[in-house]
Amino acid sequence: MAANVLMKSDPKSNGSALEEAARRELQSSESAAHGLHGRMLHVSRLATIGEMAAGVAHELNQPLTAIANYAQACDRLLSRPGADAGELREALREIAAQAVRAGDIIRRLRTLAGNHGLQRVPSDLNSVVTEIANLLQTEARVHGARVSLELAPQLPSSIVDRVQIQHVILNLVRNGLEALDAVSGERELVIRTALAGDEVEIAVIDTGPGLTSDVAERMFDPFFSTKENGTGLGLPISNTIVRAHGGALRYRPNQPRGACFSIRLPLESHA
Amino acid sequence: MIAPKELPPTVFIVDDDEAVRNSLRFLFKSVGVATKAFASAAEFLDNYQPSQPGCLVLDVRMPGMSGLELQEQLNLRGAVIPVIFITGHGDIPMAVEAMQHGAFDFLQKPFRDQDLIDRIQRALAKDAKNRASLKEHDRIRSRFETLTPREREVLTLMTRGKANKVMAAELGLSQRTVEIHRARVMEKSGAGSLAELVRMVLDLEGERPA
Repeated sequence: MAANVLMKSDPKSNGSALEEAARRELQSSESAAHGLHGRMLHVSRLATIGEMAAGVAHELNQPLTAIANYAQACDRLLSRPGADAGELREALREIAAQAVRAGDIIRRLRTLAGNHGLQRVPSDLNSVVTEIANLLQTEARVHGARVSLELAPQLPSSIVDRVQIQHVILNLVRNGLEALDAVSGERELVIRTALAGDEVEIAVIDTGPGLTSDVAERMFDPFFSTKENGTGLGLPISNTIVRAHGGALRYRPNQPRGACFSIRLPLESHA
Repeated sequence: MIAPKELPPTVFIVDDDEAVRNSLRFLFKSVGVATKAFASAAEFLDNYQPSQPGCLVLDVRMPGMSGLELQEQLNLRGAVIPVIFITGHGDIPMAVEAMQHGAFDFLQKPFRDQDLIDRIQRALAKDAKNRASLKEHDRIRSRFETLTPREREVLTLMTRGKANKVMAAELGLSQRTVEIHRARVMEKSGAGSLAELVRMVLDLEGERPA
């Protein structure tokens, strides 16, 4: 529309005015696309969090159960003459500690759910992983599995949006845990960080059935999913996020079996 | 029926969450129930002695061996310990599965302490009853094991209600000999009557009506 209005103005200035209008339009559509992308990431993150609701509810239930047990036991102890103050105090301290634990769970979730702008800061990727370790354990628990961290002793920093990278890790871990559902016995998922040349690698490794070459080829296709209720957006969005960081998200089979998803990110010194 | 002085009944708690585990111990302590707590199913199995009376309070979801898998292991070992599952809100299908595999009861977290304590008391009573009838079963079996092959033959015919004369003909013995065997069977089994003898045999065959 703006271009049409401009067409009627002075023909001499027409060329440059058109260019100006075109540039403005391009800019505005770019920022719209950027905004849309940002919103999509946010929605995808919320979807991931929504899917994690069962795990979070379970995790919150633990401190609540402990609090209820201690409180009810205190009530019983107090109804008897000569209640032991030391014993009661022990229970009260536990109640307070469990309330704090419940608060922490909610705080972690809120951080992850918050719609923050892009915030790229120099980060130690180990800390990016450990910050969500509890959330990952919660998720693992739902699948009767364990997540173990094998972190490189020291990593040079990378410039990343911590929440976005955490979102990618969560996505990969969720996929891995679902793959482990097919396995009986010990179910373990490993997150390994390592320095690889001028990049840092975060690998999410499971011992599930792994990907067929067919699936591996299509894993970044939007809306392609092997899950019954999958959106088919988890991996494509994860891929977009990692690439926007100048990195790469890759799949390789794990030996002797399972899947290994590797997030490679450039070091701050090479960014 | 109550077993003579033995180990006190114990509530075994298996939960990987330290806070939940400790709070359960504290709660049971406040009502004077002895507990032993374990952080994993494997740890429990390593320490479990079937001779120890009690009941098991088990979290359905645990890393490693789940509560359901532990129940399966106990079933395989023929353990009779009653199991009370504690579950989260979303775990009802798992709880139903547990009940189908013989769980004694289940409770959703968080629970009213009285609900848990009531269930524990019922489970401990059930365990005592199970143990008493197992003991009775063992006692009867060991008595029957003292029978000679010939006495067993007589026992079988007795429980079929055969008269001495018929037995004598079937076994090719004199009536007098059958009478002696018959008296020995009654004496060794400790049965006061033929009816009681039949009940003992049915019990050993596991056909006793519930």
